[in-house]
Amino acid sequence: MMNYIWAGMICLGIGFACFKGTLGSFTDGLMSSCTQAVEFVISLIGIMAVWSGLMNIADKSGLIEKISRRVRPAMHFLFPKEKDDQTIAVMLMSFVANIFGAGNSATVFSLKAMERLDDENGKSPYASDAMCMFTAVTMSMVQLVPVTIIKIRNDEGSADSGDIIIPSIIAGLISMAVSIVVCKLFERKQRNVNHS
Amino acid sequence: MSTILSTISVFFIPVIITIIIGYGLYKKAAVYDLFAEGAKDGMATAVEILPFIIAIFIGIEAITSSGAMEWLETLLGPVFELAGIPKELISLILLRPVSGSGSLVLAERIMQDYGVDSLVGRAASVMVGSCETVFYVLALYFGVTSVKKMRHAFAAGIIGYIAGIFASVLICRIM
Repeated sequence: MMNYIWAGMICLGIGFACFKGTLGSFTDGLMSSCTQAVEFVISLIGIMAVWSGLMNIADKSGLIEKISRRVRPAMHFLFPKEKDDQTIAVMLMSFVANIFGAGNSATVFSLKAMERLDDENGKSPYASDAMCMFTAVTMSMVQLVPVTIIKIRNDEGSADSGDIIIPSIIAGLISMAVSIVVCKLFERKQRNVNHS
Repeated sequence: MSTILSTISVFFIPVIITIIIGYGLYKKAAVYDLFAEGAKDGMATAVEILPFIIAIFIGIEAITSSGAMEWLETLLGPVFELAGIPKELISLILLRPVSGSGSLVLAERIMQDYGVDSLVGRAASVMVGSCETVFYVLALYFGVTSVKKMRHAFAAGIIGYIAGIFASVLICRIM
């Protein structure tokens, strides 16, 4: 799937740049985006190292097991088959970091969670239900205070830059509910196919 | 209300760090050594994801800088308008799934052009505040796994995103 999407994006881009006669600037943009990618990862390395270090402390001291046992009932609805304490803990941390707007930290936890889910899935080429549910939930996770957008609204001279907080939370919750329902429907459909 | 929420957000990371290190000390764990050990692991992960991030960045740059986006806009514009979405928001709706920073710049420009507190300006803010960069996230998250078939992750993401868009506009009309 990713193969076609990625190739499609590049070919479509080259096709349009040819058509518009902007191939020169297009190539420059493409090359500078590689540099941006590297810079982004470099900015992520530090955060990744810090959280991995802290999570290692939490893991070895037994904190993760303790917390994960507490939240397991709540997570059970989304991930009925998930048993691993570590995985539950990183998924929880990813959700929590998202809610509090710690974007890069959330990315780090999500990537950790995906790696763990991949291992549990036996490195299968087919995504597991848990992986689908996890991406669906993180993608639509509500952010308590969308800091960046509030700052932009402030700069643009809004009368009340914070009045979009509640609407954002409601819209986010609706989006999340829809994503979860879609996942659950697919899971159920799949089960029925397997049974018959 | 917004100040209370901001304060909570500011305290989030320090509180978590304190709890983890405090609990570690309480359990007499070698926190410093454990931290270094875990950090090493984290750095390896960061290096592992680099190839995928480069691939995603190139793909997104190709589609946004070539003018392909404008073409999609004229193609899909009438559909969104028919569904009650102001046409000023269409470019944002199409850009948001692929580019977080790009959509922020675009949202700022929309606010400048149509007014921060107008329906369009507020709806743009709510969209950026509540809808995620779906394509980017999918590509990145599945990039670190060995998954070739995403199954329903894609559908769930897109349908959730579209629901978020409609909810944003609708809520801004009401509130």
